[in-house]
Amino acid sequence: MKLLRRLRYWLDNTRHAADLAEEMEFHRAMLTRDGAPPATLGNTTLAGEDARAVWIWPWLESLWQDAVYGLRAMRREPAFTATALAALACAIGVNTGLFTVFNAFALQSWTVRDPASVVTIHRFTRDGGGGFGIAEYRYLTQHSRSLAGLIAMSNGEEVKLGDRPLQLTYVSGNYFRLLGVGLERGRGFLDEEDNPADPQPVVVLSHDTWQNRFGGDPQIVGRVIRLDDVPFTVVGIAPEDFHGTNPLRNEVWAPLPAKLLLRPSDPASLAWLTNPDFCCTPIAGRLAPGVTRAAAEAEVSVLLHQFLAETRVVRDPFRIVMAGTSWIESPRKKRQVIPTLSILFLAVTLVLLLACANVGNLLLARAAARRREIAVRLALGGSRIRLIRQLLVESLLLALTAAAIAFPLGFVASKGLIRRLAGPAWYPLTPDLHVLAYTLAVAVVSCVAFGLAPALHGTSGGIAAALKADAPLGRTRLPLRSILLGVQVAISVVLLVGAGILVRGLARAQNIDPGFDFRNVTVLSVELPARQYTGPRTQVLTANLEAQLDRSPGLPSSALAQGAPLGNATFSTNFQLLTPRRSPMMQIWATQISPAYFDVLRIRFMEGHNFTADDTPPCLVVNQSAAKRWWPGESAVGKSVFAYRKVRQIVGVVADTYTHDLHTSDEPMLYLPITGAQGAPVVLVHDRNSAAVDRVAAMVKQIEPRAQIHAEPLSDNFDRQMEPNLIGAALAGFLGILALGIASVGMAGVFAYVVGRRTREIGVRMALGAESAQIIRLVLGSALRPLAFGLAVGLALSAAVSILLAGLLPGVKSSDPLAYLNVVFLLGLAVALASAVPARRATKVDPVRALRCE
Amino acid sequence: MGRSPALELLPGTLDMLILRALARGSMHGYGIAQILKQTSDDVLEVGESSLYPALQRLLLNGWVTAEWGASENNRRARYYTLTAAGRKQLAAERADFERMVAAIQRVLQTA
Repeated sequence: MKLLRRLRYWLDNTRHAADLAEEMEFHRAMLTRDGAPPATLGNTTLAGEDARAVWIWPWLESLWQDAVYGLRAMRREPAFTATALAALACAIGVNTGLFTVFNAFALQSWTVRDPASVVTIHRFTRDGGGGFGIAEYRYLTQHSRSLAGLIAMSNGEEVKLGDRPLQLTYVSGNYFRLLGVGLERGRGFLDEEDNPADPQPVVVLSHDTWQNRFGGDPQIVGRVIRLDDVPFTVVGIAPEDFHGTNPLRNEVWAPLPAKLLLRPSDPASLAWLTNPDFCCTPIAGRLAPGVTRAAAEAEVSVLLHQFLAETRVVRDPFRIVMAGTSWIESPRKKRQVIPTLSILFLAVTLVLLLACANVGNLLLARAAARRREIAVRLALGGSRIRLIRQLLVESLLLALTAAAIAFPLGFVASKGLIRRLAGPAWYPLTPDLHVLAYTLAVAVVSCVAFGLAPALHGTSGGIAAALKADAPLGRTRLPLRSILLGVQVAISVVLLVGAGILVRGLARAQNIDPGFDFRNVTVLSVELPARQYTGPRTQVLTANLEAQLDRSPGLPSSALAQGAPLGNATFSTNFQLLTPRRSPMMQIWATQISPAYFDVLRIRFMEGHNFTADDTPPCLVVNQSAAKRWWPGESAVGKSVFAYRKVRQIVGVVADTYTHDLHTSDEPMLYLPITGAQGAPVVLVHDRNSAAVDRVAAMVKQIEPRAQIHAEPLSDNFDRQMEPNLIGAALAGFLGILALGIASVGMAGVFAYVVGRRTREIGVRMALGAESAQIIRLVLGSALRPLAFGLAVGLALSAAVSILLAGLLPGVKSSDPLAYLNVVFLLGLAVALASAVPARRATKVDPVRALRCE
Repeated sequence: MGRSPALELLPGTLDMLILRALARGSMHGYGIAQILKQTSDDVLEVGESSLYPALQRLLLNGWVTAEWGASENNRRARYYTLTAAGRKQLAAERADFERMVAAIQRVLQTA
C-alpha cells in the first residue's frame, strides 16, 4: 500500500510539489497576518525539500543498498552470471532487433512538420483498395475545405543517371511545402511546374543521392543532370532526415507532369495525368485546423461522388478512409503485414520466455545454495518482503546488464536482417528512444518473469529447517525446477518445429507448379535509349520483332510480352462488361502478349482458341477465373467486353497461372495483343541453351542495334518469389537453434545440479556395486518426466503454430510428420549432449570420498 | 513576569500530536500549528520545517488524506483529514506514550 502511494506520488510529482509550495505559502501568509515577526518564518525552501524528501529518500537509499549488494553477488559467481547474461542478452537482443526493424519501418510517421495533422487517404471498394486519379486529386485540391491541402505522389519509376539506376517519385508541385519539409538547398518546385500542359524538367534530389552520386557538390543546385538521357535542372536538395512518403527508396523527386518528358511515347502518361477515370496514385492531405478525420472523410467522399457525376465516370461503390502516415496505420499494409509480424514477435517472445525459464532455473539453483544466507537474514529479523525485494533487485540488475549488452547487439542484428531482406538499408535504422524504451520494458518484464518465482520460493519455508546444517532439499523445490525445464523444452520444440516446417515448406514450394513452364524459358529484356525512343517507335519495334520471330524458321519458339510472369511488373487496365448489360468500369489485371505466349509458356487452353495479331474485331483471351467470375455456368467465349480502350471479343479461355506471386492464381486476368505502346517488350524464349538464346538476341540487335539485351532464366523470377520463404526459414532456423542452445545449457545445469545434490546417494549405490549404466540412468531419469511433459506440450503447441504458418507462405503444410520427427531426434541429441558431462562426473564419483563427507 | 520560552518537542511525538489535533476534525497545516500552540498554552510551537515533513510522512503512511478547500479568509488551503488507519495509529501511539510517561514519572518520583 505504501509502495502504491509512493508510486502515485511520483507519477504526479510536479502537482505534489506545487501543492506543497502553495500550502506553505499559505502558512506563511497566515503567520504574517497574525503578526508573527519575520524571524520566526524560517527557511521555506529547506522545509519544502525536507517535506518532499519524505517520499523519496529512505526508499532510494535502501534500493541503492540492494543494488550494491546485488552487484557484489553477481561478481562472486562469475559462471552463473555469465551463463545467465548470455542467455538473456541473446533473447533480449533478438527482441530488440526485431523491434528496431518494426520501429523503423512501421512506427515512424513521415518526417514532416506536424505529422499528426497529415493523413493518408485511401479508397476501399469491394475488391480492395486503390489510389486516386490525378484528375480526382486536382478536383479535391480545388474544392476541399476540410483539408488545408492535398499532395499526390506516384510510386515512381526507375530512371538511369549515368549507367546506374535511380528511383524517381513523381509528386505534386506543393509536395514539400504542404508537408513542411524545408529543403536543405534550392527553391523546390513551383506550382506552375505542376501543369500537364507545360511540363518542366526540374528535380529535387535526396540528401543521399546528392552525397553519393554527386559527391555533395555544393554547386549542384541549378545544374542540369540527365535522367534517362533527358536533361533536368536540379532545383533543390531534400533534408537529410527526409526519406520520402512511400516505402520505396526515394532518391529523386520530379513534378507529376515530368512523366510526359521521361515517358513521352507512352500514351498512358497523359491519360494518367488528365483522364478522370484513371486511378491508383496515392494521395495525402493536411487536415485544416479543428477538422476531424471523420469530417474530412465525409467531405472527400461527397466531393468524389460529385466529381464522378460531373465527369460521368462509373466506379464501384467505395468508402474513403483516412489514416496516419506511419506504415502500420496504412489500412492495407496492416492487413498484409500483421500476420507475419505477429508470428515473428511470437517467435522472439518465445525465445525470451525460454531464456527466462532458463535463468529462473539457474536462480533457483543459486537460491538453494544461498538458503543459509537467506535463513540467517530472516532469523535476524529481515522481513520476507524486504528479502524478496533484494532478490528481485538482483534479478533486475541482471536483466538490465543483459539489456545493455543486447541493445547494440539487436541493432547489429537488425542491420544484418535488413541487408539480407532488402539490400543496404535506406531507412534510418537508428535505435531511438522507442527502441530503448522497448528494450528496457522487455528487460523489466523478463526480470519479473524469471526472478519472481525463485524469489518467492527461495524465501519460503521455515527458518529452522533452512538453518539446519545440511538440510535435505525441500520436497517442493523439484516441481518448480521441473516445470521450468519443461517450459524450456516445450518452447524449443515449438521453435524447432516451426523452423522445420518452414525449411521443408521451402523445399516443397520449389515444387509448386505455377501453371506455366518456367524451367525451360529464358527472358530477354530489351532496353532502349529512352531519349531517342520517343513517339511510336517502340510500337514499330514491337511489330517488327513479332513479324521477324514468326518468320525466322531456325529460332527457338519465342513470344513477346509486356513483362515476364512472376516478374516485378504488373499491368492492369480499365474493363467493362458489355453483355448482358453494361457494368461499372473496373480495374483488372491485363497483360499484353504476342499469340505465341501460351505456346512458349505451355499454358493450356480450356476453351476456344487463341487470338491472332490482327483480328477484326479485336479479340482477347481471359483466364479461367475471369470466365468463372463474370460468366458463371456459361461460356465466356463469344462475349464482348470493353478493355484497353476498345470493344473486344473473347475468343478463348486459358488455365489460371500464378502470374504476380505464388500465393494466388485465381485473380481474373486478360490477355491482349501486344502493341508496344507502353515501351519495349520482353522476349520469352523457350530454350535454356545459350547459343539458341544468343541467336534470338542477335535477331533483336539486327532490328534495333542500339538495344541493350539482358538474358535471364525465367526460373530466376521464381526463385525471387521464394525469397520470403528462404528468409522465413533462415530466421526460424536461427531462432530454433538459439532456442535449442539455451535449452541445452539449461538441461546441462539441471543434470549437474542433480549429480551435485545426489553425490552421496550415487556413492552409496556405487559402493553397493551399481554399474555406470545404472548411474547414468539414475541421472537421466531425474529429468525424464519434465522432458516428456515439455515434449508433449511443445508438440501440441506446434500443431497450432504450424496452422498459422501454413497460411503465410506458399508450400508450407501444417501437418508435416517429418518435421516433427526431426525435432524429437534433435532434442534427444541435445539431452544426450547436455547430460554427457554431468553423467560422466556421476560415474566418476569415488564411493569412499562421497561417504566420508557424511 | 517573563514567559518561559517554547520547548523542543520530544522526538517522535509530533506525528502523534498532529493526529490528535486532526481527531477534532479536518484542518489545514497552519490551523494544526495554531491548535498545538493554543492547547499547549504557547509551549509547543511547531515550525514549517518540522510540520510539513511530518504531514508528508503521515500522508505516505496513509494515516491522513489531504484535500484542497477554502480557508476562513477565502484563500485556497489544504485540509488534512484523519483516516481510519490514522485513528488506529493515534490510539496505539497514545497508549504507548502514556505507558512511557507513567513509567518515566514513576522513576522520577521514586529514584
